[in-house]
Amino acid sequence: MFTLIKREIEDNIAYFAAAALFSTALVIAVTSLAYNAEELSEVALSLSIPIIVLAILGFSAMGASQMYTDKTRKISALLSTLRVTRAQILAARIVTGILTILILLVPLAVTAAVLLRLFPPPYPIYPHFVSEIFTAVFLTGFACYCLGLQLGWNSNKVIRVLGSIGSTAVIVPLIVIKGFGACTVIIMLLLIVASLTRTWQKFTSTPL
Amino acid sequence: MSDTIIKIQNLAKYFDGRCVLDGINLNIPQGCIYGLLGRNGAGKTTIIRILLGLDSPTRGRTSLLGADSAKLSARTHGRIGYVAEAHNLIQNYKVSRLVKLCKDLSLKWNDDFFGRLIEAFRLPMQRRVKQLSIGMRAQLNLSLAMAIDPELLILDDPTLGLDTVARRQFLELAVDLLQKDGRTILFCSHILSDVERIADRIGILAAGKLIVDCPLEELKKRVKKLRLIFPEHAPANLHMTEIVNQQLQGRELTITVANWNQQKQAFIETFKPESCTEIPMSLEDMFIECTRLKSTPITNT
Repeated sequence: MFTLIKREIEDNIAYFAAAALFSTALVIAVTSLAYNAEELSEVALSLSIPIIVLAILGFSAMGASQMYTDKTRKISALLSTLRVTRAQILAARIVTGILTILILLVPLAVTAAVLLRLFPPPYPIYPHFVSEIFTAVFLTGFACYCLGLQLGWNSNKVIRVLGSIGSTAVIVPLIVIKGFGACTVIIMLLLIVASLTRTWQKFTSTPL
Repeated sequence: MSDTIIKIQNLAKYFDGRCVLDGINLNIPQGCIYGLLGRNGAGKTTIIRILLGLDSPTRGRTSLLGADSAKLSARTHGRIGYVAEAHNLIQNYKVSRLVKLCKDLSLKWNDDFFGRLIEAFRLPMQRRVKQLSIGMRAQLNLSLAMAIDPELLILDDPTLGLDTVARRQFLELAVDLLQKDGRTILFCSHILSDVERIADRIGILAAGKLIVDCPLEELKKRVKKLRLIFPEHAPANLHMTEIVNQQLQGRELTITVANWNQQKQAFIETFKPESCTEIPMSLEDMFIECTRLKSTPITNT
């Protein structure tokens, strides 16, 4: 399993690098904004939507490219003749997706927690504010990644492109309207379960 | 020699309503080198893909090393070496990286033997797979499949793209290493001289059915090509079953008969031919004659 995860990381190193760079840029931006508190809300609000769109597209693209590359380069056709099962190949792929999301989110969550201690907001916030936001954002990222996995295994190019755009068009307004509350978490969990089940079923039953 | 390594029961496969395999039954015992032959599109690759769980059957069951093909565990996969017809290697990897990946994902890895193969085939480890010639890719695929010390080696046209020297090298290595330890090989090839050299049992697929399944020697005994010369005109019809092919030319009648036996010999003698000569047949001749034969299976367990 470790070998499979290592292979996925090496093959998708660009996504890991992009997540790390994006995370670093966001950490720097958030930290510098924290020292100019009066501008914080305005800038944060104007940047939040492009950042969400970028992250959603990025995670979808990663999932889709992993599956599409596998299909076109017949990677699983080779791997599944070695000491590996298809379920393990997909599991390793999902682990790398989760790792990429964590690379982007963990530094941001840590930074947010530290900054909230250093610069307590004027209004009181509940104790699990950061962890709840982190969970909701993580689930959103993972749901986008899972949708990407499902779309990437589809051989129809139109469905792949329209699917990515369509999922972005649904998820972004959902977050803008509902925020990262319990409702979003439930919807994302349902989305994850549905798309992972479908991907799993298709990936393990399609001729390689 | 008694354990069944490959078992196929009533296997059928349809592609878009077209029947490719129609009720195939086959048992391959341990230690057997089985040559599976058939024309293009006969279903050889489909059988192999179903056996390995890469494709699903429409009907029937297959098992490898005692495990159902549809549910092969990682460990069972690790005991099987496979060379695909199209050499499914990850094209953008360097050879060294692909070797390392296969090594890390193998149950066993014979470094010495792999080194010998790489040296014999002169494979460049630092080149990318896509930069290799088809022949080199075939050699690399063979080396990877054999280095894992497989209990069962499945070769789907493994010598495709290899030059004569490399082909001979491969066949010698395969026989030496694998047959010595009682390993089993399922071997598909269009180069029938290769199959004739190494196989001890032959299966021939035609029209979706396994029309031949018997030891090579048995096949040679069962399929006979005879030249009969009659005192006057040769009879236009011998009224005998299982005549695969016949050519009539004046007094001379050349026939190919399947399932040759004493009764058939005695029956032919009732026509009182002046002479009856057996024409020697290679496996290639037999294959061509057998693929004409669609309704008379030649099987022997």
